[in-house]
Amino acid sequence: MIPNPLRDPRDRRLPRVPPPCALVVFGITGDLARKKLLPAVYDLANRGLLPTNFALLGFARREWEDEDFAEVAREAAREHARTPWREEVWEQLSSDITFVPGSFDDDAAFDQLAATLGKLEGSHGIGGNAAFYLSIPPAMFPTVLKQMQRTGMAENTPERWRRVVVEKPFGEDLPSSRELNELVDSVFSADDVFRIDHYLGKETVQNLLAVRFANTLFEPIWNGHHVDSVQITMAEDVGIGGRAQFYEKTGAARDVLQNHLLQLLALTAMEEPVEFSAEEIRTEKLKVLRAISIPEDMETFAVRGQYEQGWLAGQRVNGYRQEEGVDPESKTETFAAVRLGVETRRWAGVPFYLRTGKRLPRRVTEIALVFKRAPHLPFADTDTEELGNNQLVIRVQPDEGVTLKFGSKVPGSVMEVRDVSMDFLYGEQFTESSPEAYERLLLDVLLGDATLFPRNAEVEASWTVIDPLEEFWAGTTPHMYRAGEWGPRAADEMLAAEGRRWRRP
Amino acid sequence: MTTLWDTTGSAVVKELAAQRRTGGAVLSGVALTLVVVADESRVAEAEEAATHAAEAHPCRILLVVRRQIDAPAPRLDAEVLIGGRLGPGEAVVLRMYGRLGLHAESVVLPLLAADAPVVAWWHAAPPDQLSTDALAIVADRRITDSSIPDDSLAALKTRAVDYAPGDTDLAWTRCTPWRSALASTLDSVSGRRSEPVEVRSGRIEGDPGNPTAALLAGWLTSRCGCPIAVEESGRKPGASGVDSIFLQLDQDEEVQLHADRKGSATISQPYRPDATVALPERALGDLLSEELRRLDTDEPYRDPLEAATGVTGLADRSPVREYVWLDPARENGNGARPRKRAAAKSTDS
Repeated sequence: MIPNPLRDPRDRRLPRVPPPCALVVFGITGDLARKKLLPAVYDLANRGLLPTNFALLGFARREWEDEDFAEVAREAAREHARTPWREEVWEQLSSDITFVPGSFDDDAAFDQLAATLGKLEGSHGIGGNAAFYLSIPPAMFPTVLKQMQRTGMAENTPERWRRVVVEKPFGEDLPSSRELNELVDSVFSADDVFRIDHYLGKETVQNLLAVRFANTLFEPIWNGHHVDSVQITMAEDVGIGGRAQFYEKTGAARDVLQNHLLQLLALTAMEEPVEFSAEEIRTEKLKVLRAISIPEDMETFAVRGQYEQGWLAGQRVNGYRQEEGVDPESKTETFAAVRLGVETRRWAGVPFYLRTGKRLPRRVTEIALVFKRAPHLPFADTDTEELGNNQLVIRVQPDEGVTLKFGSKVPGSVMEVRDVSMDFLYGEQFTESSPEAYERLLLDVLLGDATLFPRNAEVEASWTVIDPLEEFWAGTTPHMYRAGEWGPRAADEMLAAEGRRWRRP
Repeated sequence: MTTLWDTTGSAVVKELAAQRRTGGAVLSGVALTLVVVADESRVAEAEEAATHAAEAHPCRILLVVRRQIDAPAPRLDAEVLIGGRLGPGEAVVLRMYGRLGLHAESVVLPLLAADAPVVAWWHAAPPDQLSTDALAIVADRRITDSSIPDDSLAALKTRAVDYAPGDTDLAWTRCTPWRSALASTLDSVSGRRSEPVEVRSGRIEGDPGNPTAALLAGWLTSRCGCPIAVEESGRKPGASGVDSIFLQLDQDEEVQLHADRKGSATISQPYRPDATVALPERALGDLLSEELRRLDTDEPYRDPLEAATGVTGLADRSPVREYVWLDPARENGNGARPRKRAAAKSTDS
């Protein structure tokens, strides 16, 4: 960053505002763009975090004029924005919105897109900087990337930057992910590729790093001497919605385990980075991902499940095989639980239990560190019957916060110890409502801050963990569970085999 | 909500504890205590702003209203609210009559949230010397508003003379959108040039009597190293007192910002077409929220205050204020001066 006389590092009232730039969204008519991207752009504008010279360029196969697009964008932003609606902010933003119609294989449309970008330099002063958001199915990537290469849109020069944002899934196994990475890297340089894992944009996930590395309290016990096991859960109460086609060939392990859960595991288990910078944090995460070991006894410790018809939140819901567009004999999993190890000095011998599923009783994501029991209790056995393991739980969503569970005396004339919990609720102590993950991540892309984006080596290391599991599961039938249950019995037996049980989140 | 008439500080503490216990799921943690000192005529405004700020920064609000300082008998009326009119958290409105107003800290101290920072905000004309109000001594951060007194520039100067680290003024907070727009404009000029820019000269057109305009000019002066003053503008500017800003850069370029009266401003800059930024007039609650976001000393406020008022040596001020006893009843305008408490103890009621 070039020094600016008006910028003072101590002056933290002034927000981080990206340089003049354009955001180009491919697939602007899609669900993600409407529900997340456009509202996030509005929220950023409303918070004064967009540069004064900014342009939003939508590309999709629709016969729209700029005004039609602006209207659609307005509806989307208005409906899903986090911050209060201010018409004057939108009016200003809408003058920066441009739409280019065309399909991805249409050379003329891309020539027009490149020309429009050039024109925006004159009319909006974007300085040639642009971030391209690929909100499109991965199958389209090659076509779009080749078009960008052909028109020279992806070229970085000393005067301007060009970045690309890619959404998961990053491939479906190691070879396909390598292929995808090579393709993206052949068009953009590795530093300009931002892979979005929206979980990493969540305030609580970043808070995990603060809790671990800013305090003296937790670090001494954050290891295998004190931690008995770690449970990472990401549960959803919804089914697959209208995504049958995508989900049928993906399944829970590829959809969630490979990215979100392994990233959470990496952040939980990683060593302290040398400094809080993108490069150092990614290096530490990569070390953990490479140190992950998969269970030998896969039969017991790698369980997948599929939901059957059942009742959830007072409503009858269909089983997975009855969902529209799903093969009635489908063997795709909607639940996956696995016991992983992290082979480092800090974590050797500590099981990491990961689980994710759809149609579970509630939507919740949390990381729980379960501590070992005290080696000796000076109380009578009957006094501590209700005392469990101490736990430290990072609640990622909802009710973002931290819970500490420990034993305490029950008031009364006898000595009786029971578990109580101490809660830190984010919304209660802090300050500002947390920005949406996409808001934060979009801003980081425009600022060029890659701290919260996984590197392709991390993606590949994650596939190295998932591929053997998928290979073992191939051809088997998932265990069935009723919609509205916490997964199949086999998942409970997996922990019971080692004398543990799942926490009910 | 409970109202306690003619009560004592301990009764208020007890009532707050009782309400917390019976209130069910109330907020259990607070990040700070906000002590608001307001005139009776400004209580509604102060309540609205504090409530708004409390939504963003859960805090315990203690609203202190001092009335009839010459009333013969001291008296305390208190309203204890949890999750009510004053936002989701705990709030106590304390009305103090008579000489109790001079000892407001005796009621406030036991009500502060344990080991959490204390912010004091005067939504009233603050004392010339903050250390004559014991609430300022208790607070880690002190927020005043120089736009309240009629002679705002004099008020700003008073603040500079009295300055200690941890003080800020809402007149400064009102600058933030302008400062942010200017800083990012210079970013984009230097980005275009690929080398740093220098500001050679400049001026602000607006209301020279406005403390926000004065602080903005002070900020530009201290950051750019060239004198930038506020000149009378032809049009009547908004609450920030700023209508236009002109900056001459080192390569004969000019940057201009013009407020357009509709909550935004137009930026004219070299190399790029004009752009519009939102510069809405912010409500009091938004300003207060911005202040609560950071609880450490706001150093960048110090230099502009020096530059705007000509008072120097602010960087050497001690962050610790010592209480100074001042009895308004004895201040007759004939040279009555604040005395140290020790000297005045015998006459203290």
